[in-house]
Amino acid sequence: MKRRYTIIVFTENNFGLLNRITIIFSRRRINIESLTVSETERKGISRFTIVIDYDETKIRKLIQQIRKIIGVLVVFENEDDQVFFGQIAYFKVITSSFEEREKVMEIAHRHQAKIAFSSDDYIVIEKSGKEEDISTTLHLLEPHGVVEYCKSGRIAIVKDQHRFSKYAKNMDPEGWYSDEEFHELQSNGRHSF
Amino acid sequence: MSIATENAQQLAVKGNKPKHEKTDKIVSGSEAVILSLIEEGVDTIFGYPGGAIMPIYDALFHYRHALNHILVRHEQGATHAAEGYAQMAGKPGVCFATSGPGATNLVTGIADAMLDSVPIVCITGQVPEKFLGTDAFQETDVMSLAMPITKWCYQIADADEIPYILAKAFYIARSGRPGPVLIDITKCAQFDSMTKPFRYEKRKQIKGYKPACKPREKDITKAVELLNQAKRPFLFVGHGVLLSKAENELLKFIEKTDIPVASTLLGLSAFPSDHPNYKGMLGMHGNYAPNKLTNKADVIIAVGMRFDDRVTGNLDTYAKQAKVIHIDIDHAEMGKNVIPTVAMIADAKEALQALIPAVNENKHESWHQEFKKLYDEEYEKVIEKDFTAHDELIKMGEVIRRLSEKTKGEAVVVADVGQHQMSAARYSKFRKTDSWLTSGGLGTMGYALPASFGAKMGAPDREVVAVIGDGCFQMTIQELGTIAQSGLPVKIIVLNNNYLGMVRQWQQLFFDTRYSFVELSNPDFITIAKGFGIKGHRCMHADDLDSSLDTLINSTEAYLLEISVEKEANVFPMMPSGMGVDDIRLD
Repeated sequence: MKRRYTIIVFTENNFGLLNRITIIFSRRRINIESLTVSETERKGISRFTIVIDYDETKIRKLIQQIRKIIGVLVVFENEDDQVFFGQIAYFKVITSSFEEREKVMEIAHRHQAKIAFSSDDYIVIEKSGKEEDISTTLHLLEPHGVVEYCKSGRIAIVKDQHRFSKYAKNMDPEGWYSDEEFHELQSNGRHSF
Repeated sequence: MSIATENAQQLAVKGNKPKHEKTDKIVSGSEAVILSLIEEGVDTIFGYPGGAIMPIYDALFHYRHALNHILVRHEQGATHAAEGYAQMAGKPGVCFATSGPGATNLVTGIADAMLDSVPIVCITGQVPEKFLGTDAFQETDVMSLAMPITKWCYQIADADEIPYILAKAFYIARSGRPGPVLIDITKCAQFDSMTKPFRYEKRKQIKGYKPACKPREKDITKAVELLNQAKRPFLFVGHGVLLSKAENELLKFIEKTDIPVASTLLGLSAFPSDHPNYKGMLGMHGNYAPNKLTNKADVIIAVGMRFDDRVTGNLDTYAKQAKVIHIDIDHAEMGKNVIPTVAMIADAKEALQALIPAVNENKHESWHQEFKKLYDEEYEKVIEKDFTAHDELIKMGEVIRRLSEKTKGEAVVVADVGQHQMSAARYSKFRKTDSWLTSGGLGTMGYALPASFGAKMGAPDREVVAVIGDGCFQMTIQELGTIAQSGLPVKIIVLNNNYLGMVRQWQQLFFDTRYSFVELSNPDFITIAKGFGIKGHRCMHADDLDSSLDTLINSTEAYLLEISVEKEANVFPMMPSGMGVDDIRLD
């Protein structure tokens, strides 16, 4: 059965790694729902957040293949209840009258969105949150004339503090897995043999 | 004769090691490449020069006494030769190629090395950095081509990076589960001087990369418990045993436990063929008993193998009754195809060393008898017929049997891909380890001829015999020129049935004998060999076979023996595609 997975991959910040990682998905004909890449608080370390819908019986094999890539440091696969996650969206709405403008600002206010930019002709509204919140906001703004809309990929933080910090040491300049940590990481809780 | 050729011959015949002096000079990127290779203990390079790698070739000219270069006739030949070299020498093989078509010609061999876990380091020249992405002359995005088929690849555009990246390349290629690495170097980085003196440090670790780990105690305990209780245990030996040099440990383990052994295609020669516990080869054209009894074993211990689909057939019916102990260095193999009861992520040697003292001595007489019964059936229906000529037509099996007898099972057999490969795998008797090279995972036609001279370079003291079909031979036939120029005494047997035999067999069995474009109108191979300066003989009749093989083996130089074999013979047993190991058929 398919489930939604948020895969968080920490890598060295080298060119070509994005390609290497996405090949793992494309050769299996897996469609990536969203992909976000940025540098982390650690210099030279990048963080990939990849969202896919995938078969729960096959996810472990996929993660193992990603772990094999040279330059990949740590990989976590998470279901939605294991991460805090969100996205950010921008809506450009044409406001032809004062009344229209008031209505759009009211919608933004009600939905905890903020006005990122305002001019005589249009307003740019910034909304962050879960995908469904963003969709609701879009749905409400559309009748008022959304002329441009863009949405980021998902970003996510692992909820389990222990799980993250234990393996994050591999991202340190002198951090190496012990054999036990390596085995534990391969087992990854529910997938143990 | 050129100096490089003289070197090649000296290295091949005497096994000489190159000498070099260390430097702390400021050198060019090109010289840094050559010095790095010398630091890594490289003595042989297979390659083909061209515009974008000329600075490296120029540097190589100055170090031609230290590094032996074999000029192949096509870059695919360089990769296969490097594979053959790596497997026999026990260290990474090295290839050079220029940008564009040079690099793309490497691709087949790199993919082959990836699937068969062979350590090779390919160095390609690239257009200058300022031309990258402009469709410049002979520019291809070799990095994007290489990514899915290499263990690691990297593009260097700064001369200073060269020693560091090459050290990383060699470490990655040879450590853990070995594999191919490609390093693409822009022409500017080759020409530019380094900004600091050349220093080289071999790598011992890389962040985030854990090539091997020791087996877990709990896995050893569980495996031992399963093995000690097993009534019908069965051991599968894979390429990993050869890669980790665990042959002695395997023998000790088997002699203590008395477990029957079967080999994968790439695991052949890791265990002596004449050992009473050896039951033959697994897989689509493997032996009858090991395939059938896979589904009767209560415990399967798979050492350094990956449960390839050619071994397992239909996974839905594969070894469902067995508890599986899977030993492999690559964690991603665990549960990829077969879910193991015990997943032992470890080097085969270390895993067997841990198991040997812990397992009980045992005997499995009645279990062995079951193998014997099925072997007798296979012998009567298949093997005996494969050894018996009728109407003076020579059988592939008979050629291999006699070759094996005459070489006392000590030659290195390098097989290409197809019916002749399966005959060679089934009927070669191996008494020495590292005696079998073939393209297993990718099934690359054209592999054997270049791999055979690579193997000869890697093990100059071993007799190397390439067994090639007429179709495969023509895919890399130009490498006869490399063999002739290098003066390598490689023995070549072409089994000629004027067909793409394996495809014809499938068309006969599964496509109602519609022979769609499988018949070959072949050239005169002996004349072609003669044109390259290689002696040869065509054997047409069974009564000429013995003396022809004797001439081949006794030749002190390269020799081609073309043998006309029965035209429409089939290779059995056979597990039809998509069927299970139980469905293997004898006719």
